[in-house]
Amino acid sequence: MGTTYSKEEILAQQLQTAFEHLITEVVRKDTVFAFATKEQVSSILLYAKEKLGYISFVHLSCVDWLESGEFELVYIIWSPETKINLFVKTRLDRENPSMENTDMIWRQINTYQREIREMFGVEFPGFVGEKEFILEDWEDAPPMRRDFDTLEYVNDTFFEREGREDKQDVRERIAKRSGEEIPDFAKKYSRE
Amino acid sequence: MREKSTTLYLGPQHPGITGNMMVKLQLEGDTIVKATTHVGYLHRAFEKLIERRNWMQSTTILCRFCVPEPDPPEAAFALAVEQIEGREVPERGKYLRSLVLELARIQSFMLWYAGQNGSAGLYTVGQWSVGDRNYVLDLFEELTGGRIYHMYIWPGGVRRDIPEGFEDKVLHTMDYIEKRIDDYDRMMFDSAIFQKRAQGVGIISKEKAMEWGVVGAPLRGCGIGHDVRKDNPYDAYDKLDFQMGIFDGGDVWARAKVRQFEIRQSISMVRQIIQNLPKGDYLNKMPNPMKWTIPAGSAYGKVESVRGEFGFHVVSDGSDKPRRVHARGPAYAHGISLLEDILVGENLADVSFIMNSLGVCPPEIER
Amino acid sequence: MSFFDLKGLLRPLTGLSQFGKNPHTKRMDVLGQDTADRYRGFHYNDLNACIGCGNCSTICMNEAIDMVELAAEFNISQDKGNSGLRPRVDYGRCCWCALCVDVCPTGSLNLTKEYDYVSPDANSFLWTPGVDNPYGKDQLSFTSSVETSLMNFERIPMRELEGTERVKSFAEVVLGYNEEEARAEASRCISCSLCTEVCPDHMHIPEYINAIAKGNDDDALRIIYDNNPLPEMCGKVCTRRCEDVCAIAVRGEAVAIRWLKRYATERAQTSDLIKEIVNPEIQEANGYKVGIIGAGPSGLTAAYYLALRGFDVTVFEAKRFGGGMTMYGIPKYRLPMDSLDKQIGYLQKIGVKINFNTRVGTDITFDEIYKKHDAVFIGIGFEKPWKLGVEGEDLENSIPAVEYLRMINNEEIFDVGKKVVVIGGGNVAIDGARVAARHNAEVTILYRRRVEDMPADWEEIEGAEDEGVHIHPQAIPVRIIADESGKKVKAIEYIEAEMVAEEGARPRPVPIEGSNKIIEVDTIIGAIGQEADYSFISEEYVNKIELNRGRIVTNDQQQTSDAKIFAGGDAVNRTADAISAIADGFRAVKGIEAMLLKTKK
Repeated sequence: MGTTYSKEEILAQQLQTAFEHLITEVVRKDTVFAFATKEQVSSILLYAKEKLGYISFVHLSCVDWLESGEFELVYIIWSPETKINLFVKTRLDRENPSMENTDMIWRQINTYQREIREMFGVEFPGFVGEKEFILEDWEDAPPMRRDFDTLEYVNDTFFEREGREDKQDVRERIAKRSGEEIPDFAKKYSRE
Repeated sequence: MREKSTTLYLGPQHPGITGNMMVKLQLEGDTIVKATTHVGYLHRAFEKLIERRNWMQSTTILCRFCVPEPDPPEAAFALAVEQIEGREVPERGKYLRSLVLELARIQSFMLWYAGQNGSAGLYTVGQWSVGDRNYVLDLFEELTGGRIYHMYIWPGGVRRDIPEGFEDKVLHTMDYIEKRIDDYDRMMFDSAIFQKRAQGVGIISKEKAMEWGVVGAPLRGCGIGHDVRKDNPYDAYDKLDFQMGIFDGGDVWARAKVRQFEIRQSISMVRQIIQNLPKGDYLNKMPNPMKWTIPAGSAYGKVESVRGEFGFHVVSDGSDKPRRVHARGPAYAHGISLLEDILVGENLADVSFIMNSLGVCPPEIER
Repeated sequence: MSFFDLKGLLRPLTGLSQFGKNPHTKRMDVLGQDTADRYRGFHYNDLNACIGCGNCSTICMNEAIDMVELAAEFNISQDKGNSGLRPRVDYGRCCWCALCVDVCPTGSLNLTKEYDYVSPDANSFLWTPGVDNPYGKDQLSFTSSVETSLMNFERIPMRELEGTERVKSFAEVVLGYNEEEARAEASRCISCSLCTEVCPDHMHIPEYINAIAKGNDDDALRIIYDNNPLPEMCGKVCTRRCEDVCAIAVRGEAVAIRWLKRYATERAQTSDLIKEIVNPEIQEANGYKVGIIGAGPSGLTAAYYLALRGFDVTVFEAKRFGGGMTMYGIPKYRLPMDSLDKQIGYLQKIGVKINFNTRVGTDITFDEIYKKHDAVFIGIGFEKPWKLGVEGEDLENSIPAVEYLRMINNEEIFDVGKKVVVIGGGNVAIDGARVAARHNAEVTILYRRRVEDMPADWEEIEGAEDEGVHIHPQAIPVRIIADESGKKVKAIEYIEAEMVAEEGARPRPVPIEGSNKIIEVDTIIGAIGQEADYSFISEEYVNKIELNRGRIVTNDQQQTSDAKIFAGGDAVNRTADAISAIADGFRAVKGIEAMLLKTKK
């Protein structure tokens, strides 16, 4: 007697059989991750769509992992039969990031690619879509990148309304009143 | 003889546009030959702002993603966080969430009545439904303290228990609204004008619907039965008895029929929830919000809003702030390339009529 | 559908049935009074209940809330445990999410039903809740209770040995937090820092707690060692006045600051590990020598920070072990022996020289120390017990508690017999009682006032009761009765007292005539107070050092009237606890540094 597999495990196995060296992870109920290389993504998407019934494209998201110098693209697709959200994840180099255009697999990806190109500066060679999407006349760095400092931008662009200069910091006031000297290495643990 | 081509900028300030966005139309006579959408007039960079805010603070921004429907974003975010963290929601919390989500659907349906009829020139129903919608908002005010933005659904449950006597007020309001939507129907669905305007307009084919990621009422109006509440039940939906409204045709009429059917389903669900509301806790309390960290991981939380599937892709790096929160709203799929496509060949006068039937909500596209 | 659709034309006409009905909309003039009971309108802050912790300002995601100082007319408390600041809201930014209400630890900040305010002047949108809308207190709507608040008011319980189990040995009673418990407890802290002001040593409490909450125990230890070289001892026995002013304690149980410090220090099991984690930078030797008398908390603290700053430090300690009163006055079930050893070992590792068994005045003269060093620090404790002042107190088997504790901790033997009476209500009395209980004695505490007046920690009192110690409040000893031989204690006579209210003071116990009672005892342990013994200081110096009621007078840098002599600890401060002694030692370091390095430059 064989063990019974959950639908998530079966999907992971199907993907692993079809794609060598593909790492899959059954994360929780209705969620399976597949960690693909950049080149594998389109064939996984096509395979899942044509062969496994993952006909619904749900979401394409980009995550900036600044510390490791990578962008992560996450394609989420869904099957009306298994009801599983399949996350196909891939990592791109943060220097000159580019990814294969996949909007012929699902037309909907077109909009996502426009957004990610504008907000993260990820290029999708060969894809047709208007350059400007949400931003207008934007010449700064792609704003959703984590090294774009919103606060700095706001401080440079806007001014504070007068009348709030007398605000005080509770921590500083207490320390001053009692003569406490907070060492520099401890300050990162103080209240923000 | 070939008619002269005209370029017309519809919006960003236009009463027929459902918010601030612009559609650049190329017309030959009254017929659209090319439509280009321009969004960005309402970009508030919420997703970027959230990167600087902790998990608790994020919950108060998220409801502002979509003005007509502030509750589905709250719920989707809560579901995603709960998935990553493994936080359980008490039974009563689940029911209260479903109650709020259904009331939110009802109030949003009422707003849709106004938009759909208004863009067809039938103003009476719009005036009525927006007036009646206030009775639902009164319920929200009573329950959450706010009329539009509720900040009520939190990871782990809901923010407050229901006040005393709330159940009766809900049932009373439901009775009233049920009576009123019959009035709307006579003015709207029975009206020859509305029928003529809606039937055969803004058609989406089944194939196109899947390809372009259509969700919600527009998808069910193409004869495809998909509803997150049925397919991936969350909160108390697996314990509620309801049906999807599935109609064929893919036109504005079919979408309207879906909504006509589903507002009654929502009213029935609200009654079921009030009847079966379990006792117990309403919130599985999180740690001190200032020091609340979520284990590293990612999840996609989705709920069914009036306009379709609303989801959040939430990524945590294990810190006290989200790494990335990326929204996937129904308008994002409906309002950009799909709209550009189906407007071709339509009449100029039907643009806002079609946009209303698709539930295009620019604040949610741009975030 | 036919071209002429009669039904489709006529049905909409049913809308005419609404003709003449009242409209749904409401008239403008009733607005403002009709909101729900939970409506989220403008803020109201109870200025007297608010402690100015600033949590509202921190959670506000729009940065709409500033903490500001109010005008003198509002009489905002500037006491310790109250920052004296109050929130001010910028309604140009506020989004009425009411998170500030849900995180307010005191519950002073609430929202009201008021929501309409119109002004052409945008600068008038800055409101100080409670000041600009005093009437708001009658319009409260969105409030937070202990149940609905986002603060966690319940402390993670500390695991302890069972009372019946404890009396069998001197094993440590409190077991300490494990990692998971510590993280959970640390995350209750809101980092307001009100506690740091009441801490005599101004330890960086929010910072090290936050380090623990973030999972960085090493950083926590480093922050602790910034101004406290004996944290493990403090983590176990500190009087923790910080917890009294904890913002969470207003409506719940204070964050267990002491136990968290203990947790952080326990991560380093040996003095080598402490050195590796804390890793102090020792400055180059500056050639100055400092002599320290007494290896108690104040002396060791001074020694540690002086050594770090390049001073050549020698400590003279009369007894076998370092630690002073914390070593000899605190029973081992509260502070195990090896705990102090470890910390003192660490001090020695960074170059502090400690001469044990060297009593100043006997083994070495004060004069010699004074002349050989560039500065002297006196950190002697209160070792001389006060007399009970009743007949028979000098009999055998009548022993002062400090003496009894010292003997037990020094592994000497003192048989208390079967029945013991302890006189006093402070921590020393409780310690004496609990130690005697561990020697299988039946212990009664006689205290002149009520239990709630006892100066001892409530945890200690509870602990004693758990272990079977009987507390007899409102009982004043009259005389101690000797047995037939006239040498040993046989019984004690006491009189019961009633509490008489007195204006401007705490109630006074007044003996009730004729309520005298006698109980038989084997041992009487007196614990009504101690004082310092200055006999080691030779004449020529005694006159130079100014004393006041038995305490050495110092300036704010612990300098005595002799510029070269500094002093700290119980002999100087009135609070007579370890953390004050540590603070004295820390201040003295700055004083000595200032005197030696600045004047000679």
